This record gives sequence, structure tokens and C-alpha cells, in this order.
Amino acid sequence: MNKTLLHSIRFVALVLVQVLIINHIRLGNYVHPSIYMLFIMLLSVTMPKWQVLGLGFLLGLCVDLFTGTPGLHAGATTLMAFCRPAILRFVSGHQKLENVQEPSIGQLGGFLRYVSCMVLVHHFTLFFLESFSFHLIGQVLLRILLSVPVSIFLIMMLLYIFNSEKNRETR
Amino acid sequence: MYNLRRFLVKHHYVIMFILLEVICILMLARSQNYHRSTLVSTTNELVGTIYQWGSDVGGYFRLRQTNQQLVEENAMLRKQLSVVTDTASSVYSLLDRDTVYEYISAKVVNNSTGQSNNYIIINKGHVDGIMRDMGVISPEGIVGVVTDVSKNYASVMSLLHSKSFVGVRFKANQQLGSLKWNTGNYRYGMVEDIPTHIHLQKGDTVVTSSYSFIFPEDMMVGTVEEAYESTSGALNEAKIRFATDFASLRHVYVIKNLHKPELDSLRASIMEQ
Repeated sequence: MNKTLLHSIRFVALVLVQVLIINHIRLGNYVHPSIYMLFIMLLSVTMPKWQVLGLGFLLGLCVDLFTGTPGLHAGATTLMAFCRPAILRFVSGHQKLENVQEPSIGQLGGFLRYVSCMVLVHHFTLFFLESFSFHLIGQVLLRILLSVPVSIFLIMMLLYIFNSEKNRETR
Repeated sequence: MYNLRRFLVKHHYVIMFILLEVICILMLARSQNYHRSTLVSTTNELVGTIYQWGSDVGGYFRLRQTNQQLVEENAMLRKQLSVVTDTASSVYSLLDRDTVYEYISAKVVNNSTGQSNNYIIINKGHVDGIMRDMGVISPEGIVGVVTDVSKNYASVMSLLHSKSFVGVRFKANQQLGSLKWNTGNYRYGMVEDIPTHIHLQKGDTVVTSSYSFIFPEDMMVGTVEEAYESTSGALNEAKIRFATDFASLRHVYVIKNLHKPELDSLRASIMEQ
């Protein structure tokens, strides 16, 4: 399938799943998982960095339109997209990134670490931007601490589900 | 000039990042105001439509609960009606009072409780007569105030908003206070500015005061959960439990105050003096 088409479908699907399903999950007052930024994580490693940044901004803005908080998710995803090259370098170690087309479970060693770092950066920015001040710092930290594992879990689940389907097709 | 261009080309990545983040922060700072940004207002219609799809599907799973709620409300209204027909003398005064307000029923198509500023989107817009600053209630209690209206949808600032402010009254002793939301929990709100000599008990009913032009008087707000005595001798505070369950909000009524134009022009003439 055409790469651009695949990415576009993934973009729309992830935003819709986020705003129609994930945002309505209520696990106590502190757990607010996000999965939509998986789109940025799965972009090709060879893609120009400024394009990733632009897409990050656009993705966050789309989610913002639904939650009615312009700038909140956009700020978080932009920072996450900005940190992506550094995180990729950090998790891959000495592995040659040129051979890796798209980051995926099979291709990139330490994929879980990659996802964890990205989610952490995203949630950290998101929850601090949301409170817009430091006076509720305890509550914000608790939110981050409880939401990050849930988000990572959901993202890994999604990846496993779609990956196993892809493998079946090729067989 | 050449150097500037070289600098921009060399650092285009970082410059673009800073630019985008500044845009985000500016948008975010602007959206902290009571009225929402134009970006959200202009896309309200599209967002409302997409939420409507989701809500159409999700609605089926809650039919039983919704039915139960509406049946209970019906029963309550019947009870009130029987009182009215019994006491014929008060009929006229009651009817007189009630015609000030008109109720427009609406369905919640999206709702959040986890943010620090929560908004609700309902499926009625200006074609149905919804306007800015109208109050919104649920069968259980008050919900919020309309902030933005598009053709078929409206967004409502929920009580769960850092800028939310409602004048309330304790039913037991008729004392006034002001309701805010700073607890971060969707079940509880805070009533501030309570005179120190007032003693509150857990379970005391809190209703809307008559000073509001948005909500009719005596609308249910919640019950006192905990009262806090002020240590500095200033005004007391009380934590209240909202009567409305914001987590399962489905059917709401928008309140149209038929006297609002009159009240507004009166207020404007006072301001001019």
C-alpha cells in the first residue's frame, strides 16, 4: 500500500480512537491515557526532521479541536517530535539507523524503551501545560506516574494486534 | 543578510520547534479566558458532528440507565404537578413564575471530566434558539453555562471549569455563597465566602440563589460534604458533592430566560449612569 495513504489512514484512525474511546476511559481521577502519538513514533526514521515536527504539531492540534484546548496537545506532541531523533539515538545505541525504515517491534532493538521515553516526554509536557502552573505539582506528578504505564500498555497492545495481522497476511 | 540566511538554514529545525511551541503557548494562554478561541468556535460544527456519531453508538449501551433517570424525573414532576392542582390559589403565582423560563431539551454528544477546564458539547444550536450565557441543567441538578453556539451544536462550560462561578444558597439557613471548582475531582465543588457564624452540617442542600440571571432560583446544586472553618477569621468554605453526576451526563435542558433582554437593558442603563 502507498506509504502516504497508510500514514493518513493511521493519522485519522488514531485521532478518532483517542477522542471517541480513549478519552472516555475513566480509571479513577488520575489516569488519562493517550495513544494518538503512536503516529509520530511510527513515522519513518529517514523522514526529514522538520516534517516530523510539523506533523506532530498538526496531530496535536487535531486532538485539541476535539477536547477544546487549543495548544495543549499540540505543545506536547511538538516537543515529543522534537525529542524523537535524540530518543532514537539513545535507544538504538550503536545500531545503524539507516537500515531501519520504520521503527517497529521487530526492527528496532529496545522498542519498548523507545515507546516509554516518547510517552514520558509527551505526558510530562501535557500534564504540566494543562495545569499551567506549579502549585498543584503533587497532583500533576501523580497523574503522570499513573497515566504513563497505562498509555504504554495500550500502545504496545495496539502494536501487537496490528503486527500479528500483518504477519498473517504475508504468510 | 547572507549570514542571517545561513543561520536560518542551519538552525531551521530548532527555530521551527521554538516557533511552534510559542504558537501553542499563546493559543493555550488565550484559551484560559472564559470565551473560547475562534479556532475552536469555527470548528465546533465539524467536531460536534463527529462526536454525534460516537455518541449515537455509545448511547445504546446506556439506554437502561437513561430510561431509569427519565422515569424518576417524570415521577418527580408528576408529584409537583399534583401539588399545584391541589392548591388552586397558588396556581397563578406558580404559572406566572414559570413562564419566565423556557426549557429546551438537548443531548450531550461529548463531555469531559478529567481536564482542569471541562467543556460539554450538546446537539442543539442557534437554529433551536440556543444562545450564549444560557444555563444548562440535568434532571439531577445544574450543569453549566453555554459559551459557544454554532448552527446545530453548542459548547457548554461545565461547572468543572476553573472559571466557573455560580451564586448559591444554603437551603437550611438561606445563607449565600459562591460555588467554584478547584478540587480537581468531578464529584466535588467548593462553596466560598460563607459567613463565619453559619454552622453547616453534612448533607445540607445547596441550591442556586435568586441573584443569578442564568439559573432559576432554587435549582438543585448539591449537598454539603465537609465544612471548613477558617483559621484566619476570614470567610468559611465548604466542600459540596454535586447533585449532577458529570460522568454519566446524557440528557440536559437548556434554560432560556424570557426576561433576559429586559434584564440586560436594565443592567446596561445602570452601567451608563
